[in-house]
Amino acid sequence: MNFLEFMQQMVNGFSLGSMYALIAIGYTMVYGVLRLINFAHGDIMMVGAFLGYFGMAVLDLPFVAAVVLSVVGSALLGMLTDKVAYRPLREAPKISLLITAIGISFFLENIFNVIFGGTSKPFPVPAYMEEIVNIGGLTLPASALMVPAVTLVLLGAILWVLYKTKYGMAIRALAFDVNTVNLMGIDANKIIMIVFGMGSALAAIGGIFWAVNYPSVEPMMGVLIGLKAFAAAVVGGIGSVGGAVIGGFIIGFTEVVVVAFLPEYGGYKDAFAFVLLILVLLFKPTGILGINFDKSRF
Amino acid sequence: MYLILEAIYHDFKKFPKKYANFKVNFSNITDCNKNQKGEYMRKLATLATSVALLASVSVAKEIKVGAVMPMSGPLAAYGQVTYEGIEFAHKLQPTLKNGDTIKLVLVDNKGDKVETATATTRLISSDKVTAILGALTSTNTAQTIAIADKKKIPVIASVATNDKLTMKRTFANRVCFMDSFQGEVVANYALKDLGLKTAVVIVDQAQVYSLGLAKAFQKAFKKGGGKIVKKIKITSGDKDFKAVVSQIKSANPDFMFLPLYHPEASMIARQSKQIGLNKPMFSGDGVANQVFIDLGGKAVEGYMFTDFFDYSAPPTQKSKDFIAAYAKDTGKKELASFTALGADTYFLLVDAMNRCADPSDSICVNEQIKATKGFEGVSGIINMDKSGNATRSAVIKVIKDGKAVYKTTVNP
Repeated sequence: MNFLEFMQQMVNGFSLGSMYALIAIGYTMVYGVLRLINFAHGDIMMVGAFLGYFGMAVLDLPFVAAVVLSVVGSALLGMLTDKVAYRPLREAPKISLLITAIGISFFLENIFNVIFGGTSKPFPVPAYMEEIVNIGGLTLPASALMVPAVTLVLLGAILWVLYKTKYGMAIRALAFDVNTVNLMGIDANKIIMIVFGMGSALAAIGGIFWAVNYPSVEPMMGVLIGLKAFAAAVVGGIGSVGGAVIGGFIIGFTEVVVVAFLPEYGGYKDAFAFVLLILVLLFKPTGILGINFDKSRF
Repeated sequence: MYLILEAIYHDFKKFPKKYANFKVNFSNITDCNKNQKGEYMRKLATLATSVALLASVSVAKEIKVGAVMPMSGPLAAYGQVTYEGIEFAHKLQPTLKNGDTIKLVLVDNKGDKVETATATTRLISSDKVTAILGALTSTNTAQTIAIADKKKIPVIASVATNDKLTMKRTFANRVCFMDSFQGEVVANYALKDLGLKTAVVIVDQAQVYSLGLAKAFQKAFKKGGGKIVKKIKITSGDKDFKAVVSQIKSANPDFMFLPLYHPEASMIARQSKQIGLNKPMFSGDGVANQVFIDLGGKAVEGYMFTDFFDYSAPPTQKSKDFIAAYAKDTGKKELASFTALGADTYFLLVDAMNRCADPSDSICVNEQIKATKGFEGVSGIINMDKSGNATRSAVIKVIKDGKAVYKTTVNP
């Protein structure tokens, strides 16, 4: 392997890792406030990608408008699932919440299967995203640079919200202790809804990026991607936003490295990613940046 | 008379109770008075008339033929297209030479393995079909064959190309070519006609189809003096192939062989172009559909693949007639190759049934299917062998301006 190919593979890993990171943040934030593994999160990402497809291919909107539609639509959907499915179960055992999340996941997959059909739809990628950039012999599509850049900007924004705003403080307090937060006169339900909205908006952006990089959308696309993003959140330490991003990059790089160095085993890249998950959990059960579960998160 | 007796026999089998009662009454005739006797005679006469009526109906029998096809689910697009061919062929030729009519019984397998098994069992045990047409993909067809083989019901597969499908199965048949032939066609065409000497092969390790086709290609390509510079394994469902195409770029082969289905093949084509990898690409019949072109967009321009048939170069008189009838009926000039093969499974079956004294005798039908030689099908001339495989030609197509265009025909 020459230097150029190595660099090319690194860029590939960076771009793939960013997408996992964007989705993993949603898992980690919801877990932080509700202690719920929101299995419907991968499907929210799928809905985000489909709304983008719908906006561009059906409503004929420009790319940016379609992204806005997708982000707003997914955020609303995330908040709606919280209100309809999770809020009535706040006092119920955690396992009921988990099963409900799986139910929502199946519901979303099947309703989109009914509306759009099971065959993959070509995602109309805007030309400027597919433009080929040449940097010192490396040939890359513009999207490969745009994805990590946007991810880092969004990560900065999320951290700013969490640490510099009143709402962020409420979210962090909520992660610490729900009952006390309620006593302090903060509307916990409202804050949880905001968390769902933020997480789902990020998932929608992740979904759009996914569709731009791999231009086909289908109702089942969220299953495996969601699972890997969840693995990323766990590797990084579930409950920690920075950890989710680190975990995303680790999973992304693992996949690329397996294919690049062991092409004969390339088909097992998912297995390698999950073996890595097991290894991390064996040596550090709370994940890389994970903190003691009884203490605060974020 | 024979027919009447046969009908009575059949009727007797169907309603043993009714006859049992009748017999009891009949035995009493001797000690009955005349009036009663006359009544019995009248009853007997009515029975004879009804039997005669029954017999006249059973002169032209109805033979049931089952079809297992994915009419819904992820493979629905192909299943519907293939069944369209079967249905249209049935419309053109609904009766046999001896006047028997054929009834098609369609069961949707939703593209699923388990559903396929259920559908096949249902067709055999409750619908009592004589033969089964189906079930599209190699994986699902293997299920149908496994069940039908035990019950001695012949199966004719339309597009299942995996080599192992017909092995050790007496009742398995197909009208398409096998992957070993398809692999050879690609290898020889690349080496001799295009002068491409080195290749990278990308295999989908989760698909029997892909593994078989890749193996056949490698064997033929090496034999012809070509060199496989790299073999990369992927799994269906993958979307990210950037690491794969980056490697191929530095391996710098003359061309890429992708024995994959359309979702993966289209993504690889797109991602190759994104990093400036512009080598010729070749696939088998797994990408022979419009969805592939839609998903691939501009990236699949110049992409080549093998197929069974092309409507723009009809190989037989029957294809010309079929295309004309199809155009007249549906208004569509472009006959999909899967539709042509679907029609051929039906025509081949009818042809074999016509050569049997009793067309509902599935063992005879199976023997006759395998004895078919020089059959003029819609998709070309088909010769069947003892193992139920077809020897037939292949066509090579290339994608130009978003359309699959006929390039050449390769004969075995």
